[in-house]
Amino acid sequence: MSTILGKAQLLRCPPGTTLQDEGRVLGANYGVPRSGAMDLHGYHWANHLLQNQNQAVALEMAQPGLKIKFEEPCLVSLAGAVAFVTVNQAPISNPSIIAMGSEDILEIGKFRTGARLYLCIEGGFQVEKPLGSGSDFVSITTPAKRATDETLYYLSNQNKTVLQAKPKWTSDWFESEEIQAYPGPDWELLSSVQHSKLLNQPFHISKLSNRMGIQLDELVVNELEDLPTNPVFPGTVQLTPGGKIIVLMRDAGVTGGYPRILQLTEEAQNRLAQKKTGDPIYFQLI
Amino acid sequence: MKPTYQLISPTLGELVWNTEPTDELLSIQFAYLTYIQTNFSPILLEVRQGFTRLSLVWKNSSSQQEFIQLSGSLNLIPEPLPEKVWKVPVCYSPEFGQDLEDFAKSKNLSLEEVIQLHTQPRYRIHFFGFLPGFFYLNGLSPKLHMPRKSVPTPAVPPGSVAIGGKQTGIYPIQSPGGWHIIGRSPLPFFDMKQVPPVWAKPGEQIQFVPINATQLENWKDADTKNFLQ
Repeated sequence: MSTILGKAQLLRCPPGTTLQDEGRVLGANYGVPRSGAMDLHGYHWANHLLQNQNQAVALEMAQPGLKIKFEEPCLVSLAGAVAFVTVNQAPISNPSIIAMGSEDILEIGKFRTGARLYLCIEGGFQVEKPLGSGSDFVSITTPAKRATDETLYYLSNQNKTVLQAKPKWTSDWFESEEIQAYPGPDWELLSSVQHSKLLNQPFHISKLSNRMGIQLDELVVNELEDLPTNPVFPGTVQLTPGGKIIVLMRDAGVTGGYPRILQLTEEAQNRLAQKKTGDPIYFQLI
Repeated sequence: MKPTYQLISPTLGELVWNTEPTDELLSIQFAYLTYIQTNFSPILLEVRQGFTRLSLVWKNSSSQQEFIQLSGSLNLIPEPLPEKVWKVPVCYSPEFGQDLEDFAKSKNLSLEEVIQLHTQPRYRIHFFGFLPGFFYLNGLSPKLHMPRKSVPTPAVPPGSVAIGGKQTGIYPIQSPGGWHIIGRSPLPFFDMKQVPPVWAKPGEQIQFVPINATQLENWKDADTKNFLQ
């Protein structure tokens, strides 16, 4: 078996494309966010298909349009959002695992469901892992996001036998509108009217959403004062003085001063990461 | 100053002190940090420090239960705080502190008074947060307290020294920011090429030292070395 370093050219790279793994816990003491895949469920599934090790680095896409050319043969997998996929312009009906040949071009079209798509490659993309992770973040990795004409590296196994299994990725799990959460550290500071509003009405994903946080369109009026700055985590829901609800996501800072009203379960964070602008959600307390 | 433990999820909880952040509280937080890191590291994923909380991420729910059973009976002796005081040069001028003049005007202070009030105290570093390398400092004079801007500045330059609410801080990297920018420091505050990427530790103190625009513009690496001894 011989392995050589393969090159993948990003012929077209839509905005919001980053390299991600499970993220880093080593930097929190210096104020470094955890980062990592927004939908860890999709990321883990795609890595599992290739039998990759933990922390294998994958491409996370938040928009269609990626066009990538692999110079050497490799196996890739896709999970998360469900998208139209072509190889050398021929549609792929089940793109869970694809064997790419030398100089093959993979293109990602429109997302049919979901908001974040993971492209994993056998062995992971080869990058440095500052503070234990290859996840892109400004001032930690260079570059901090991916762009057209960039080259990514991977290990190409030259004597590959194609996998027989054809597992099918399903997106049913993120179509539910229920977002399960624990009461946050400051939940008890809210009134029963606010509690009832948070738990009984739909909220919609705002377009002001990114890897740091997902904002919701509806306001919850409140008169809470700012609190001393204290730790926050991915999945912490903050309520601002203006009544805005911000669900902190993977690139959020490690501390915050707004009341922390809910803490999403891991599964709810992954599900929320797959919601699109305008999608409704309901908070459900556990 | 015994904390209570608030369970948030099966693997997340925090030690809670319902007091104002002070040196005394920080000494006790340090005692808990040391105790937890010495005794619970194998079953703990992460500890995060805030002004009045220590948040603990456990490997599983039984790890957290184990800690809860022990934590009630703990009686820890406060840890002495480090004595190190870092001098941080700052050019307070409208050219590098875009909000300095408006800030002084709305506080009814002269520029000299703002500078005097800002450079007088020694500020205690409690923890890093918000951005990589961003100090959370305690000790800003109440005369300089000022609500945050309603519309954040889209790109605050690195090294900007700013005031927001009851706090002052330094932007280590370019970022949007809602604090009032009153000056600029030429020091680096976060550098991944260094190990660790920050030069100060929680518990240490910093004091701002005024420099003029010529000094800021001609700042050299050697000057940084002199300050960061």
